[in-house]
Amino acid sequence: MTTLLEEQVQAKVDLPLLQNIHKAAALDEIYVPGHRTCAGCGPALAYRLTCKAAGQNSIFLGPTGCMYVANTSYLCVPWAVPWMHTQITDGGAVASGISAAYEARIRKGKYKGTFPNIYVFAGDGGSSDIGLQAASAMIYRDHDAIFVCYDNEQYANTGIQTSPQTPYGAWTTFTPPGPKIPEAKKLWPKDFARGMIALHPALQYVAAASISYPVDLMNKVRKCANVHGSALIHIQSICPKGWGIRSNQTLMVGKLAVETGMFHLFEYENREYTYQYQPKAFKPVTEYLKLQDRFAHLKPEHHAKIQEFVNQGLKRCGIKIPVEAV
Amino acid sequence: MKERYKKYIVEIPEEMSIPYAGIVESPKVNGEQPMMLTGGWRIYRPVVDHDKCVMCKSCVLACPDATVLLVDGGQKIGFNLDYCKGCGLCTWVCPVNAIDRVPEIDFEDGVPFQDALFLLPHVEALYAD
Amino acid sequence: MAEQYKDKKEEILKETVKMTGYEDAGFDWKSEKRVGATKFLTGLGAVAHALKMADIDVASSYPIRPYTGAMMMLSQMAARGELDVEFVHGEGEHGQLGIAHGASAAGARAFTGSSGVGVMYAMEVYSPISGGRCPVQMLIGNRTLDPPGDFGSEHTDALSTRDQCWIMGWAHTPQEAFDNTLMYYRIGEDPRVYLPQMNCQDGYFITHIPMKVVVPTQEKVDKFLPPLSFPDALDPLNPLGHGPQLFPGQGHVLEATRVNAMMGAFPVIDEVVQSFNSIFETNYSPFVDLYRCEDAEYVLFISGGHAYTAKFAINHMREKGMKIGLVRPRFIRPWATDVLADILSKFKAIGVVETNNAFGAARQAGILTLEVATTLYQIPNKPVLTAFMGGLGGEVIRLDEFYYMGDVLAKAAKEGKTERTAYWIGFHNI
Repeated sequence: MTTLLEEQVQAKVDLPLLQNIHKAAALDEIYVPGHRTCAGCGPALAYRLTCKAAGQNSIFLGPTGCMYVANTSYLCVPWAVPWMHTQITDGGAVASGISAAYEARIRKGKYKGTFPNIYVFAGDGGSSDIGLQAASAMIYRDHDAIFVCYDNEQYANTGIQTSPQTPYGAWTTFTPPGPKIPEAKKLWPKDFARGMIALHPALQYVAAASISYPVDLMNKVRKCANVHGSALIHIQSICPKGWGIRSNQTLMVGKLAVETGMFHLFEYENREYTYQYQPKAFKPVTEYLKLQDRFAHLKPEHHAKIQEFVNQGLKRCGIKIPVEAV
Repeated sequence: MKERYKKYIVEIPEEMSIPYAGIVESPKVNGEQPMMLTGGWRIYRPVVDHDKCVMCKSCVLACPDATVLLVDGGQKIGFNLDYCKGCGLCTWVCPVNAIDRVPEIDFEDGVPFQDALFLLPHVEALYAD
Repeated sequence: MAEQYKDKKEEILKETVKMTGYEDAGFDWKSEKRVGATKFLTGLGAVAHALKMADIDVASSYPIRPYTGAMMMLSQMAARGELDVEFVHGEGEHGQLGIAHGASAAGARAFTGSSGVGVMYAMEVYSPISGGRCPVQMLIGNRTLDPPGDFGSEHTDALSTRDQCWIMGWAHTPQEAFDNTLMYYRIGEDPRVYLPQMNCQDGYFITHIPMKVVVPTQEKVDKFLPPLSFPDALDPLNPLGHGPQLFPGQGHVLEATRVNAMMGAFPVIDEVVQSFNSIFETNYSPFVDLYRCEDAEYVLFISGGHAYTAKFAINHMREKGMKIGLVRPRFIRPWATDVLADILSKFKAIGVVETNNAFGAARQAGILTLEVATTLYQIPNKPVLTAFMGGLGGEVIRLDEFYYMGDVLAKAAKEGKTERTAYWIGFHNI
């Protein structure tokens, strides 16, 4: 019996897409039990699904963030594949270096295996804020590596601080609501994935996925892996602690984010967008907001503002289903 | 030269030694990381009703900790209770409500919250002396 | 014009080499039997040639003067197919070091470099690289830190990173820069060490001034520098976790292991330099270069390129009967405390020529004064110690300024004291 790894070492093959949940569930577990992430952790689920789709011929990089600290406490590593910590600032750069090293070593006959899939598993801070420069540079140089942004919409490792992905109106420890600032966070978030597409016109594949749609997520990861060159996947990863929900609500909130249009599932391939979720009607954002403690202080006018923002976003995507604020 | 510079070398007692450069071995594929047992965090234990279960495997992909297992040659759903944190996502995701959340205190081998950590054999061994 | 000099190429080279005054500067070329092609190279050119012979796998670049030339030459070599290297254009020095970190962790021989403010921009990444025990080599062409956007050479940039557990030292000629490049890789890649290295040279004075460099044959280089073997490299065939969080109470143990790697490098450096001397028939001393120190009563302590000028000045002062010598450390990290204490204890006065500034430090001199003073602490009859703040902002230290230093030291040796802890060259001597 040959293992998947031995097969891949003989000749690099494209990872087949998964037809259904049974195929997905049967895959090897690369991100194994035994890590200190919170109960119901969205980013941990994102990690597990990404690893499961990635398979054994992979190298994972963990820029500093909750998925570094919580996963590797006390000399533990829960990954059955090589993993390395990088600074929060330079996940993309280290991935570039590893990619270049394998290019050179394989070309010079110094490495016998095939080119591994290199994944940078960066948080929203490590990709859209302090790590943006390195992420952009990796994609610009088109290194054969996959940049994964697990987006929990905050700096969670340090105890819930605002990041450029934190939505308008969200409570964080740096944006508490008060009489002077009733809406807590006043700024609108960055649109990371589309921003990277705009910035890198040669980027071949970009996807936005949610942990609440696991097979879709895993297939998007596999498409990233099959690209020769850089690929980017933006995964919305719900954080029960930071968002003020119960541990068993993670997937529900992730689903609602998609159903209200707060987060779009899309693929960008051959210079074109396709949207995976196009219902007859989107739900009003209030349904999403009222579930989460981080939006508990918001008044109806703030809900209306967010609804307006979401509607504009849907319109810009060509999804013409306006929703009125409730 | 070697002798002269010996005084600058920090002698590290055996019991304090750590892996070279903090580089550690990875766990095995489909394995576990027994250094970090998390079953003791659990307040609610997932219990599956095999009569109701339709084996859709939604719960397998819903667990952040990979503790929902396929047992009996892939015929049934089971749980790895050494690591299950009791988050309840499997219960939520189940389309036929086949997974219940039962308080740990109802089980004879249940993990009372405070002492949970020490009831797990691996951890107990760690703190033995 | 070119036609006119076509046949005289050899002659011109010989003449130019003579002009650079190696023999006058006391280079013991006669006892060195270097074999190889004589080239006329700048410090950067010398390093680029050495890197080609070291067969590096990955280079990461970002432009900043004065080190850039080395990367330009490497990119030319890559374009011409002379060197099979992955040449990655970093997005900044921080990214450059990140790229080198990743490449080295994946088992490639990696090279990077920077200057001045660029060296500081990468500050975060130095410790993770040495902590991960990745034998990256970094070329630093020294440059003054801002303000005011000064291009000149000053060692403050590299010396600011001295405590990040990188092997560090200065070359004082392009030939030494060539040799150091090979030696540093061999030291850093030794399984007893596995540490990154900073291969420093003065901006402009060394990086941009061409001198004679004997380039040895590839066979000799291959004999000296075996291919990198890095058993813990990131490799799906051998999965390992690099850099997890430790248990409480293990952080200091990890630091102690890094200390042991750095201090354990002493015997390795000794061994490597001796091996270099025997393969290339040179006569380097491992830690300290001594010039006219046999009967010296007072010495100048200089690291880097200004030592070259100082050697001329010392010759001139010797002709006048002054008992002056020169001590030049070849490594700043690890600091050869015992070797230096033995040597420095013989003199009556020591003048540290700083080409860096440590604002507000003890004695308000530079960083080297602190190191030398600490080294002298264990000596019973301590020599008089003073510092000369010269070469700041990239100023040239002229011969007459070295004569002034000689006079100050002669007086100090005679009186057993100095007026100042630091003399600012160009201020007191006018």
